Amino acid sequence: MMQTYTAVNLVLDFCVIGILILGIWLFRKPFLAKYGNMAAAAALACAAVLVITRNGIAHPGIVLFCLVAGAVPGYWVAKKITMIQIPAMVAFQHGAGGIAAFFLSLAELLRGAQHLGAMNEISGLLGLAIGSLTFSGSMIAGGKLSGKLGQTPTILPNHTRLVMANLGTMVVLIMAAFYAPAEAGLVFYLLIIGLSILFGILFSIRIGGADMPVLISFLNATAGVAAAFCGMIIENQLLIACGATVAASGSILTHVMCKAMNRSLFHVFVPEKTPEKAPKKPTPGPTADHDTPVPGADYDTAARAGLQPTAAQPAGETENAEPDPFEKAADLARNARTVIIVPGYGMAVAQAQFDVIDLSNLLAVMGKQVIFAIHPVAGRMPGHMNVLLAEAGVDYDMLAEMDEVNPRFSDTDLCLVIGACDVVNPAAMETDGSPISGMPILRTHEARHVICCNLDDKPGYSGVENTLYQNSNTLMLLGNAKQTIRQLADTLSGEAEGAPGVHTDPAALDDPAVRQEQNPLDTAVTKLVSAKKIIVIPGYGMALAQAQFKVLELTDLLASRGADVTFAIHPVAGRMPGHMNVLLAEAEVDYDKLVEMDDINPKFSQTDAVIVFGACDVVNPAAMEIDGSPISGMPILKAHEAKTVIVCNFDAKPGYSGVENTLYNNPKTIMLIGDALATARDLTAALKKRP
Amino acid sequence: MTNLLLMVTVFVFSFVVGYFLISRIPTLLHTPLMSMTNAISAVTILGVLILFSAASTRSEQIIGSVAFIMAAFNLVGGFAITDRMLRMFRKKQQGDRKS
Repeated sequence: MMQTYTAVNLVLDFCVIGILILGIWLFRKPFLAKYGNMAAAAALACAAVLVITRNGIAHPGIVLFCLVAGAVPGYWVAKKITMIQIPAMVAFQHGAGGIAAFFLSLAELLRGAQHLGAMNEISGLLGLAIGSLTFSGSMIAGGKLSGKLGQTPTILPNHTRLVMANLGTMVVLIMAAFYAPAEAGLVFYLLIIGLSILFGILFSIRIGGADMPVLISFLNATAGVAAAFCGMIIENQLLIACGATVAASGSILTHVMCKAMNRSLFHVFVPEKTPEKAPKKPTPGPTADHDTPVPGADYDTAARAGLQPTAAQPAGETENAEPDPFEKAADLARNARTVIIVPGYGMAVAQAQFDVIDLSNLLAVMGKQVIFAIHPVAGRMPGHMNVLLAEAGVDYDMLAEMDEVNPRFSDTDLCLVIGACDVVNPAAMETDGSPISGMPILRTHEARHVICCNLDDKPGYSGVENTLYQNSNTLMLLGNAKQTIRQLADTLSGEAEGAPGVHTDPAALDDPAVRQEQNPLDTAVTKLVSAKKIIVIPGYGMALAQAQFKVLELTDLLASRGADVTFAIHPVAGRMPGHMNVLLAEAEVDYDKLVEMDDINPKFSQTDAVIVFGACDVVNPAAMEIDGSPISGMPILKAHEAKTVIVCNFDAKPGYSGVENTLYNNPKTIMLIGDALATARDLTAALKKRP
Repeated sequence: MTNLLLMVTVFVFSFVVGYFLISRIPTLLHTPLMSMTNAISAVTILGVLILFSAASTRSEQIIGSVAFIMAAFNLVGGFAITDRMLRMFRKKQQGDRKS
């Protein structure tokens, strides 16, 4: 609807925009930010009053009802929510903003189809599309952030093409709706909404948990753009101004997040490694007595129904079959520092994923580095293994794709194959002309030891004998995967009890002989007692362990002993911009103690001790030292320049980037492996005992 | 046409001013900033108010009501949670913390 703005109204509008800008200006300083928020709220309240006085209300009952129906739950949720849930809450609110924008666009388009100007109609259609995709994208983001959806990126076959096709159809439909007669409008509007919702889902499901800061900032910007387009339909300056400001803010945050993660926005949305590129399918050879492989079928045999477990060991394995293969397997596991688990369809059929996770947790507690190697076609659907392991509660950082994990096998002590056959068959590389020749495989045979927990030692789906089974360093544990894994875990845990606790983890370090001499916790406390300048680096691990209060207790104790303690905050630590600041503010840290990366980096070299709580990639010196890795060039906190570094991380594995953290192998680094909350508590307790 | 020109000017002006102001906001406050701008994006509530200022059909009322409820949720919830967050950011005296 058209409005003729008189000069007075225009001035009033600009006054309201001025208050809003004042509000944002006040955000520069932490102690003023509270007033900035109030000013922004006041600006919107003034705007609402202006709109009502100018236009009146035709349906006061509906307006009042809707106001209460929206505001009361909104206020209640805002008061109830805990700080750890904030990322999810913000994402859901972006979604609510998206719904409001596209419903408003829809209402205006339906009402004004006859007399809207061309510009207004185009704005309306764009508002419709952007509002809808903001809504669905935010719901997916919220689901992932609240843990209701899996953290691993969901990648459909031909995902990029699907997204592009969807986007193309949306553009065509928007143009069609513009030229179509007004009576046909509704059909087009609904189609645009449907496709935009689908588009929002498609682009957000392929974004993994650790890339959420980018997604959530991006959705912030799109919500602003949608609001601005709504303003253009009804020609309201306030809507346009507010929408543009939000869009600017979201763009800045998106840019900051991308820069800090050393990724371009394009690569966040279109990951470089696209697992949908399935390996060249082998043509079924003469030995294969099965039907033609169906798309998505895997090449694992262990699970084939109807096959009886074979008790006999393969010829070359007799020496391994001696007293008890499980004892031998447990020995191998005990002596291993690095373990890679390769799951296959056999694990799925035996429903062994929970037992596999139990086993991997047990190994992690014993100080082993454990990761899962996922072959693109393992299982019965794309990402099948990821889904199963996610269901069993695996940390998705532990799931590694084939290309990423293959170079690491040669450096691995133990590889545990669970119900996978063809995908680990070295014959694919060694023999020519077999059905699987040239198929990319997981190079488990390069590991120092391999344990195969398969149902039998028969060839897999391809019908090609698995030469891995005959290797002298392969130990076969045949039988149902669930039982095998459980028995292996029992054998292992019999030994694990009484083993050193979670926090003493010399085995995860490069030079166990040196570190084993003294309890790392004691060493850490000794260093802390003598430290004058201490910097604490929090990461997402601290948030996950909810350790912020314990961390603060520790820093207070250190401060009371005369140390100068500050917190170094990396821009992308956590799951959204400024995540760590919020958590530490909740624990009542003085915000003067929270220092940004650029300000604190020159200070590390004069620092006596750095304590890292659950941060990995953001303190990985490899970002500065090595070229060509995924994190090369990413700005990091230079913790390695301090005299002592105490790392309180859950494990010694690489972070999200998959790049080994060279800080962990630094001789001045003390590793305290385990839950950050427990480690902080132990450190505090040990420190209290010192004079 | 003058309207279009005015609208584009307002958009560009707000974007540029917003960009310069917001790029100076410390990373410390990025979460509250996002939360507040999220609440500001619920400015669509003004559009719904304008929609309800004239007599409307039943379908418009239903669609408008949904938009209104969502915008009100976003607006009130967004500002309230930002306020709660910002109240945690305060200077503390030494020994003022809970042990």
